[in-house]
Amino acid sequence: MRERGVARWVIAVPMLLLALATVYPMLFTLNVAMKSRREYVLDRFAPAEHVSFANFAEAWNSSGLGRYTLNSVIVTAGAVALLLLLGSMAGFAFSQLNFRGRKSLFLLCLGALMIPFQVIMVPFFRVLGQAGLLDTHLGLVLAYTGQFLPFTIFLMTSFYARVPQEVIEAARVDGSSTLGIYRRIMVPIGRPALLSVGILNALFCWNDVLISLLVLQSERNRTLMVGVTALRGQYSDNIPLFAGGVLVAVFPVILVYLFFQRQITDGVTAGATKG
Amino acid sequence: MPTASDQTPRWFRQPRRSWVLAALAPLLAVTAGACGAAAPEASGGSQGAAESGKLVVWDWHSGDAKTKAYYDKAKTDFEGKHPGVEVEFVAQPYDQYYTLLGTAIQAGKGPDLAMFNGGAQLRERAASLIPLDEKTKDLSERLTGWDAFKDKGTTYAVPITLQGFPFYYNKSVYKKAGLDPEKPPASLAELKADCAAIKKAGTACFNLGNKEGLGIEFFLSGFAPGVFSPQQYDAWLAGKRDWSSPEVKQIFQLWKSSNDEGWYNQGVNSTAMFMDQFTMFSGGKGGNVIGLISDTAHWKDFDEFLGPDLGVYQPPVLNPANATKTYLPAEGGIGYGVMKWTKNQELAVDLVKSLASTDALKLFYGNAGAIAADTTIDTSDATVPAVKSIVSWLPDSKPLLHTALSAKTLDLIHRLSQQLINGDVTVDQALTQLAASDK
Repeated sequence: MRERGVARWVIAVPMLLLALATVYPMLFTLNVAMKSRREYVLDRFAPAEHVSFANFAEAWNSSGLGRYTLNSVIVTAGAVALLLLLGSMAGFAFSQLNFRGRKSLFLLCLGALMIPFQVIMVPFFRVLGQAGLLDTHLGLVLAYTGQFLPFTIFLMTSFYARVPQEVIEAARVDGSSTLGIYRRIMVPIGRPALLSVGILNALFCWNDVLISLLVLQSERNRTLMVGVTALRGQYSDNIPLFAGGVLVAVFPVILVYLFFQRQITDGVTAGATKG
Repeated sequence: MPTASDQTPRWFRQPRRSWVLAALAPLLAVTAGACGAAAPEASGGSQGAAESGKLVVWDWHSGDAKTKAYYDKAKTDFEGKHPGVEVEFVAQPYDQYYTLLGTAIQAGKGPDLAMFNGGAQLRERAASLIPLDEKTKDLSERLTGWDAFKDKGTTYAVPITLQGFPFYYNKSVYKKAGLDPEKPPASLAELKADCAAIKKAGTACFNLGNKEGLGIEFFLSGFAPGVFSPQQYDAWLAGKRDWSSPEVKQIFQLWKSSNDEGWYNQGVNSTAMFMDQFTMFSGGKGGNVIGLISDTAHWKDFDEFLGPDLGVYQPPVLNPANATKTYLPAEGGIGYGVMKWTKNQELAVDLVKSLASTDALKLFYGNAGAIAADTTIDTSDATVPAVKSIVSWLPDSKPLLHTALSAKTLDLIHRLSQQLINGDVTVDQALTQLAASDK
């Protein structure tokens, strides 16, 4: 009994330290965001003496973060929807359908995961420009889809590979078409994985700066993270305003975690142990 | 029993070719990238330019509230002269700026005008800009700092501000250390004595952040006027750099020994120069700092926090046998260039002129604290004593030494400066590597 108590502490203390290391930067940012620039310069670590939410309001109003938020919602929703559709279909095909070159194609998809975006920036920029998609939300939706599709395919293929072939064959016997199997069996079975992949992709898209900067060049079309990054000038010295913008930008992400934490956990667990 | 593939409907089987293409897309993209990098388009046309009546300008300042009046003024002036032509300023984050611009240049598609730092950043991209010597003759007298925007004698951007590295100091820290607050160090002996006293009083003598390796740029350019003879200085700027000279060695040895002697705040290699180094100085946590005269970390920023305690001095004379007289290292800071692919280049040059107009630059100086490149702007009514000193030193100033180096050598010097502080390389080893890189 006593041994169990000691073991619990041995696990709990490092976990507590890890939790503190995770939470501290957020609390530091919150504290900075509630300070004036003067307070920050004189002592950045001290608790805010005169708590103020002016930096949040300024970041939201004068920096146009409201419009940027809407832009982020549009491109994130569009990209995630497309990624889930294409990723689940490809995952189904790679894991359950037999066709020539299946393994090679899957390996190519995996290979695409290893290409950093910086390597393909120039041709990517050219193609989008020639297709007339620069500075359009559709262009960014397609860019995100192209960038994150290999990861989505990989996860969905791994998940669907654990679905027993018998399930598919039973559906065939019952007269289901391939599309029917996808719609009536694979999509419902894959729901936990789709939710996890969807949330992960939403976070990737929401937090991206570089691709968005490249595609959406005018201020009115910018996404939220780009807007927040632009709050810094060459070497911006108004860190409290920047901290306010950062917190405004991550607020929806925190909400997603708060509301979907059970589904995220369930999805990851289901993906890991299915079959 | 039929297998899944046997039963795969036609609609599902048909897209196989598309799948192959989709799977090959990253490979094709990489190949195209390699080709693109080898042979960039000479021109691609801006998105609109004259046709759409719109000029797009990239910079890293127009999103800053302090520069709003300047940009509004330039835009109003230009649009007043050219009704129907719209100007759009796109503020890019500085840390991504040259990556984005590099992509635009490779693709031959991007803004009509772009902001540049003088020196290596401009020179590396000169091939994408139009020469401006003939088109901006009318500005040559009024503006100064042109040399920083030249490549092989041709001007590619118009200077808007000047940039330099004066030594700022905190008079109250000097007082606390028992030093004369009106007598900043003028020699190596005084510098060392002052630093020892300030350290003894419990404050960092200098604030330094070298996380990005930028500290050595400030150190080299900042101290060089007090070490090099005028001839050596000019030779360096002209590309005749002797990395094995005793003078260069003296600067690098001081960089190392100053850290060993504890001149700086703790954690130099993990402290960001922008803005932690300067925030520490503004917050009274350091006696001295090598700062800027424009953009940020300048007299106006420091005055906001230190007020009458802010002092400024020129580089101390560290090598009296060579440098009998010291001066402020300063040159063109930022400027605007016109991209080659811009369709209506005359219009774009006209916008550069609006951005460089005296009325607009007065606002840049007054609101943002930038020392404008315009020699006609009167600064005599300045209320901050530091700016009066800086402006009075400008006529005798010489360009910064580090901006004469290539981007490749600058990268190396950043890394070596961190290794010197850590004790991973010796001064001689560092200088040998730099000499090889700077050939």
